[in-house]
Amino acid sequence: MIEQFQHKLTTSFFMWFDNFLLSKGEAYTNTTGEFFYYDDPRVDSDYNVFGSPYKQWVTDSSINGATVPTGVFVGPRSNPHNGESGRTDGFIFDFENGRVLTPTTVISGSSVTGSFAVKDFNVYFTNDTEDDLIIENKYKINSRLPSADYNYIEPYDDVVPAIFLSVAQAENKGFALGGMMDTVVQAKAVVMAEDPYQLDGALSIFADSVNEMFTSIPFTGYPITELGDLKNNSYSYSGVKEPYESNTSFYVDKVRTSKLSDKVKKSLANELYVGFIDFDLQQHRFRFS
Amino acid sequence: MAITLPPDVTAALRKQAPKAMRRGMEKEAKKEFNRIKQEMIKEFLGNPITQEILAGPDAGNISGTLGGVSNLFAFIGFDRGEQPIGPILDLFEKMTIKFEREIKRPKIGNRFRVDLPTAEDIFAITPLPWATGRSWAQGIERGLSGLGYLLRKNKGRSGAAIQSRVKVRAGKFQNSPYISALISKYKKKFEELR
Repeated sequence: MIEQFQHKLTTSFFMWFDNFLLSKGEAYTNTTGEFFYYDDPRVDSDYNVFGSPYKQWVTDSSINGATVPTGVFVGPRSNPHNGESGRTDGFIFDFENGRVLTPTTVISGSSVTGSFAVKDFNVYFTNDTEDDLIIENKYKINSRLPSADYNYIEPYDDVVPAIFLSVAQAENKGFALGGMMDTVVQAKAVVMAEDPYQLDGALSIFADSVNEMFTSIPFTGYPITELGDLKNNSYSYSGVKEPYESNTSFYVDKVRTSKLSDKVKKSLANELYVGFIDFDLQQHRFRFS
Repeated sequence: MAITLPPDVTAALRKQAPKAMRRGMEKEAKKEFNRIKQEMIKEFLGNPITQEILAGPDAGNISGTLGGVSNLFAFIGFDRGEQPIGPILDLFEKMTIKFEREIKRPKIGNRFRVDLPTAEDIFAITPLPWATGRSWAQGIERGLSGLGYLLRKNKGRSGAAIQSRVKVRAGKFQNSPYISALISKYKKKFEELR
């Protein structure tokens, strides 16, 4: 199937949301630290895996001050990749899983260290219902607070603190002669934070996103490869959206934020602070465009 | 045959007639307004969703929004004894019609203003019990998750909700036109008051 309106909205909304949170809230922390070797049977045997303690590093180089990694330091000295190594040395940066895939010449006992910016909130698109997200308690907490005991974070599964985005429903209403539609899409975000400060921050940023416009970006603009690295080795939201700025933008018509009340929060099994952001996104368009 | 009045007579009529007619028009307008207002309240109270919520945690799912499983009161997560319909009813009861101004041209008469609440006004006074920034009345129209039900199920505050053995999922809830449709219908009726 060729790309449809809903696909384009999903990609565009996800990329805008991530950039908006990072840029308006500086919602990241620059970190330097050790990477830990682990075995991942899903990864091609040509690579060894060294994981950081955090998932979802900042990929967007248009975020001022955020460290987007291009290399890691490898030791000891006998190692052929001794010193700083990057993509030209065959390394792959898996931003989603917070790890680096190295050539097997970087042996399991090697010391791998690096710098990167970790997001305050991971951002995921989900089809899960709010019930499943909040009640099932299935997410591992990947705390962004300093800890004495660092180790790698398991890959693939979603972790919290995180914001889960979903698109609930869409409606077309006649807008102008000639068949132009006023398309309104309801999108939702469930915010799962570690503390009330973090939650209030995220809700406040997006409460203020009303009347914002964001660029309609096709699938091909999505920056991440199947290995979690960046297409063309770098990504900047402002750079990616530039060629598409002549497209009709999406408009954030309404935003409502709310928090899971404390009296019901007590019945949850975890200690997370939960909030909701309900968006009405609007675009004037012709059907099937 | 049309009669053309002298300009001074026309001017006097334009000036004096609205004032002279005001009392009679106001009485008539209020009577008609009250009739429509009562019709609106009756329709709201007769709506199966309203009735189901009014009936509390022991009601059946007469609105059909949950496929016959549980009921809206428990699904939304209200506590037994809560009266979530009350604030909406209060707002409807408080609707008034007021004289606004005299009209002197092109036609002669009086303008009255009906303070009909908007759907947004209603959403603002109908908070979900577990997330007060969200409206349950808007949720009826746009979709509600089963979170309120499940959270109550853990605590057992809605009474009847915890007795259901069928797990109510968000997908089971069927959106339904509710407040927005009612307001839109009666806005038109009030506008047609002549």
